[in-house]
Amino acid sequence: MIISVENLVKKYDGYTVLDGLNFGVEEGDIFGFLGPNGAGKTTTIRILTCIIKPDSGKITINGYDIFKHPMEVKKIINALPESNGYYEWMTAREYLEFFAKLYGEEPSRQKIDGLLEAVGLHEKEGHIIRGYSRGMKQRLGIARALINNPKILFLDEPTNGLDPNGRRDIHDLLIDLNKKHGTTIFLSTHLLDDVERLCNRIAIINYGKIVWAGEAKKGAIEDIFFMATKEGKL
Amino acid sequence: MKTAWIIMQKEIKENILTPKGVLWYMLTSTILSILSYLFLTNSELSLLDQGQMLYMIMNFISVLGVLIGIVFGTDALAGEIERGTIEALFLSPLKKNELITGKLGATIANWGIIFTISLPYLFVVGKGAQNLLVGVIYLAIIGMLLTIIFSAFSMGLSARIKSMKNSLIISFFMFLLSGSPIFLSAAMRKTWFGSIFDIINPFADAINTFDSVVIDSQGFNYQASRIAIICSYTLLSLWFLRRSVSKLEM
Repeated sequence: MIISVENLVKKYDGYTVLDGLNFGVEEGDIFGFLGPNGAGKTTTIRILTCIIKPDSGKITINGYDIFKHPMEVKKIINALPESNGYYEWMTAREYLEFFAKLYGEEPSRQKIDGLLEAVGLHEKEGHIIRGYSRGMKQRLGIARALINNPKILFLDEPTNGLDPNGRRDIHDLLIDLNKKHGTTIFLSTHLLDDVERLCNRIAIINYGKIVWAGEAKKGAIEDIFFMATKEGKL
Repeated sequence: MKTAWIIMQKEIKENILTPKGVLWYMLTSTILSILSYLFLTNSELSLLDQGQMLYMIMNFISVLGVLIGIVFGTDALAGEIERGTIEALFLSPLKKNELITGKLGATIANWGIIFTISLPYLFVVGKGAQNLLVGVIYLAIIGMLLTIIFSAFSMGLSARIKSMKNSLIISFFMFLLSGSPIFLSAAMRKTWFGSIFDIINPFADAINTFDSVVIDSQGFNYQASRIAIICSYTLLSLWFLRRSVSKLEM
């Protein structure tokens, strides 16, 4: 398992958001993390990416205990948060160069060119981000999340608010990334089409607990989701 | 520390080398120009001696430095939280101490620019004043300490309440409170309440130090206790910032 989560608990002001979460992700998976709004998907991703700390539980990523070695973990993961903001006064190139430097790399022109090309922004690299559409910003966010060549990529609702073409572009990019580089993708979403198209394994979270986990069977995901998230679960 | 330097460069590009930054400095320059013009031409103000004029313009420069420092300080964390940009920073292998060092470094750079803009005005208004040079040196150091105190406080506060508007209002209020002894009458300032209020306020300590250095020509020994209090506030505000940021969660 490249990600292993055991008995994860997180409370906010006495309200239990994650209630003993257990699941694992295999290396090379495109893992769909599904759940209705408010189920605890974003909180789980924030804990897995070392942004917030849980109240209890154990998590290992690539063999590292993430609470003991957060810096080691941060070097091999990256993420695109749900409400990712951008330094809108920068150009796409400046934005990527800034984050490359935070990873201790002197950003090479070749690498930045490659990323901009991969997300289809090479023609707009000199434009400031303020003028970008939502889809372009989302693609830039993905390029930023690939800046350290992560082994694991966490994506929180990456296709939310995108038109069908934008969604298709992101799907193709993720499939390509997974196939060519073997990147493990942890995809949090409530869009079942995305899961159907991309994921090989899924886990469904509801009220802070995993209510279903297994292979993503094409054509059956919608039924599984509705059954699993109904009151009383499966 | 290399990462702190990268953050500082980003902050300087974002806040200083932009139309917004240029506007701040043009405003600073305009205020100082008007003030200097009044000092030199107004029939009542021009009766003040050079030392008095220098002392007054030093106070204004300190206030401008602190006010802009507060705005930068609140924007540094709460602004990033509100714009959704801080999460990407936290995803990178960046330590929180490096983040605040970089951001604080940018506010000190901002004070450096304000001080540099002020220099010609200080030398024109204070021309002929006995303690011009020593006053300028005191302004550079104490102004920097005040900037650190108020920007670190506003940054720490913004990390705790995560709202730029609210942390800005509270920081401005705290600044007014710290300068409030100057609004007390001379008689009131001599009472036990006034004296204590005067001593424990860092901004009041700063302007009393300027007064003592520029007008009364008193040496460092007279200033030591007030400077020690300002330094204590600097350490306290840095401790508050560090503690606030260590608890910062999304």
